[in-house]
This record gives sequence, C-alpha cells and structure tokens, in this order.
Amino acid sequence: MTRFIVQSLAQLPVSPDTVTGKIEHPVFSQVGLSVLWVGHATCLIQIGDKVFLTDPIFTNTAGMISKRRIEPGIPASSIDRLDYILISHIHFDHLSYGSLSLLLKTATMLLPPGGAEYTPEFGFSEYREINTWEVFEADGLRITAVPAKHFNGRYGFDIPWLDYDACIGYVIEYQGKTVFFAGDTAYDPEIFKNIGSKFTIDIALIPIAPVEPHDFMIQVHADPNEALQILEDSEARIMIPIHHRTFIQGMDSSLTFAEDQLKRLVSERHIEERLIILGIGEQRIFVP
Amino acid sequence: MILVRITSYYRPLLFSVILFFSFLQPVVSQEQKHQNGISGPWLIQQVIPSCSWTCFQQQTNFAFEWEAAPVLFSFGMNKLNPKWHFFKVTQPERFTGSIELVLSTQLYTSKVGTSYWGFSGQILAHLPLIEYGEYLGLNFGIARYTMAGISSNYFVGGLSTFFGFLHYNIKYSPSDKIWMNIVEFRFF
Repeated sequence: MTRFIVQSLAQLPVSPDTVTGKIEHPVFSQVGLSVLWVGHATCLIQIGDKVFLTDPIFTNTAGMISKRRIEPGIPASSIDRLDYILISHIHFDHLSYGSLSLLLKTATMLLPPGGAEYTPEFGFSEYREINTWEVFEADGLRITAVPAKHFNGRYGFDIPWLDYDACIGYVIEYQGKTVFFAGDTAYDPEIFKNIGSKFTIDIALIPIAPVEPHDFMIQVHADPNEALQILEDSEARIMIPIHHRTFIQGMDSSLTFAEDQLKRLVSERHIEERLIILGIGEQRIFVP
Repeated sequence: MILVRITSYYRPLLFSVILFFSFLQPVVSQEQKHQNGISGPWLIQQVIPSCSWTCFQQQTNFAFEWEAAPVLFSFGMNKLNPKWHFFKVTQPERFTGSIELVLSTQLYTSKVGTSYWGFSGQILAHLPLIEYGEYLGLNFGIARYTMAGISSNYFVGGLSTFFGFLHYNIKYSPSDKIWMNIVEFRFF
C-alpha cells in the first residue's frame, strides 16, 4: 500500500503520455457493432443506432491519488451522441464525477444497487438503479445487470454500511448482438458459467489487472489467467481485455505487466483468434 | 442570530425530535430501493471519534469529537436520491450541496492531566468547489459552543478536502471576541 501511494504521489506532477491519431468522430450514424477502448474500464460501444459508454473516466487521477499514465483515447467532447452510461460500481475509477460532468446529458445512467446514494446530479435524462439479474428494456434493447465479485464502498469506511452486493457487470443485447461488460471482478466459476448459460456473447470486455500483490488481488480482481477462464466460462466469442495499462494500480511492476502475461497465456493455449487487444483510443468495427 | 439555548425544559423535546427522525429514516428509505438505513455497523462506527486541533488565541487544544447530523437537506444529488436525510449521510449527499444541523461533543485536552468537555450545535451549509466537493468544498454557518461551562455563539466558515475527511474552519464569536482555527480529521 505504501509503495502504491509513494509511486502514485511521485507521478502526480508527470503529464500522462499522449495518444496520437485520436479518432475525431467515434460515433457512427449506424454501425453493426463497434468497440473503442478509451482506457481503463471505459469503452465506447455502438450497436446499430445505440451508443453506450462503460465506467467513464477521463480525468488525470482517480480518487485524487491514483495517477493516469496515458491520456484518454478520445476526448469526452468527441462523443456527440450517447444513449446509455453503464456504471459497474462506485469506486473512484469507475464512478468518476469529473468525467461524468463532461458527457452529453441525453444519456440514461444505469447504476448498481445503492449507486444513487453516491451519484451527484449531472443533468442526465434519467438515472436508474439496477439489481443483479434485473433487465432494463427500451426500444428493443435489453440490458441485464449481472453479478461481479468485487468489493463495495467508495471511501473505505463505508464498506460495512452497504449491506448488499453493489458491484455488477452488464450484458447488452440489441439487434442480435450481445456484449458483456464484466465491470471490475475477480474470478468466480459459478457467476461466469451462469452468465455463459444465459447469453450467447459476441464480445466480452474482461478486466485483467491489477495482478500484484497476488494473494490480495486475487480476491477482488481477475488476473490474466482468470480472465481467460472468464472467457471460457462465459463462452464469449471474443475477449477484449480492459482495466489495465491506464492508471497506476496495485504493485504491478509495469503498465504492461498484465497484458504481457495475457499475451503469453493466449499464445500457449493457441486461442489468438479469440483475443483482441485494443490500444488506448483504438476502435474496432466488428460488424459494419 | 437565532440560537436556542437548550435548557432542561427543552431536552425531552429535543430527544423526542431525534427519536422521531430516527424512526422516519426507514420510511424515507422505502422511497428509494437501496437507500442504506441506519445499521449495526454504522452505529458502531459512530463511536469512533474524529480528531481536531483547535487554536485559540493563546493555546492549541487537541480534541476527540463525536458528531451527529440529526437532519440534513441535500440539494446536489441525482433525482433518485431523497433530499432529506436523518443521521446517516453519505459524503456526496453532504458535499455536493447541503444544509445540515450538526450536534457534537468534544473532549479537549490541552496538557497532560487537563481535559474538559465541549458541546456544540451548528447549522452548516456545504457548497462544492472542485469535483462535486470531493476535492474541495466550502462550508459556512452558525454555531453555539459550550466549552468548560462557557457558552458563545460563533460564525463559521471553512474548507473541506480529501473527500470531506480533512477540514479547516475558522470560528468567530463577535460578542466574546473569540477566534478559533480548527483543523479536523473528520471520521464519519
């Protein structure tokens, strides 16, 4: 913990690395399925005419201390259409007030159970808390909140106050495409096999970091090996790793520590065709 | 300044009001699906005191402080969240913009072997300055302090930072010409 704080404080005056060749217009008038990794757990997903943004964070720090190392892949202002903001839990790097204030107000904000107690008024058109396995439906769209294995609270001392599981993931189903956003989660075979049995997932956005200290992190974060197990259990066609390379997290020795491990494991298992590692700011059109 | 001295005549009334608000909490909670009410772990945490350093004109006293917010009106939160809160308040409910009644008791220690109790009632307004008040917030209001048996009315103004954990306040009593500079590590 001390090493993490010292590392983060030392980085505070340092500007994040720049992202070159940023996409100026990331939202299409219509697209089959596209995903753009903004960084950390922030993904801009578009299915047909609907635009989703997961756990938006565009600020230079998460929770005042944890320092962003690479700037966001796109500026928040370039998202000129936004229908849904999906929040997985209330930690600083997933419910970022400064980032949410930058976004278009047309969006509906979906929150985990208890999230409303931690959400200021940003002016969004609607706020909705959604329980695990609850389904939000609108205009032929289905968004299901699915369980995640993580930990509650925002400030530490409030963890015991929250008497329910307030960390979730989401499965988006629209126009025959299914995207699974796992949020921030550790591995739990029951959870992910259950998700796999209920949905036919095209793309799974799965966190792979932080890894170290492993004995602690394994209880709340999936490591690359477990992320691949989530891919197997959820029976997703393709995995995109998230929640890595963006902020100083845990005690990983480098920003690419988890990514390097993931690449090695994928190569050993010969499942390269199921893994797509997006760069920060990179957009992939899966279905035109 | 309208501040009521709580005489023994009013104490049962105050106690009844607090009790009423305590029971009201679960009623309000039903309006929102996941409003966390007063729970055992929350009550246990309230025993843990905040720590403050109070600089008077001539001396600095360390104090343990126990605080309660019997009622808070929040005006910076999303539409799902109730406006009124009784005793249990999350930081965003307070620091995104609110007006609250704060009752507190302090145990001041100036030197080894000398300590005394203080009691205060404050009406405070909180306004967010940076990051919805999490990084920096402004507060101001009025207070009545009774310390070592002496009561005075104060104007209060200050800043909070680090998610509301760290506070700096200036308190001034015009009638008694007392200045207090207070740094508080506030535990909720």
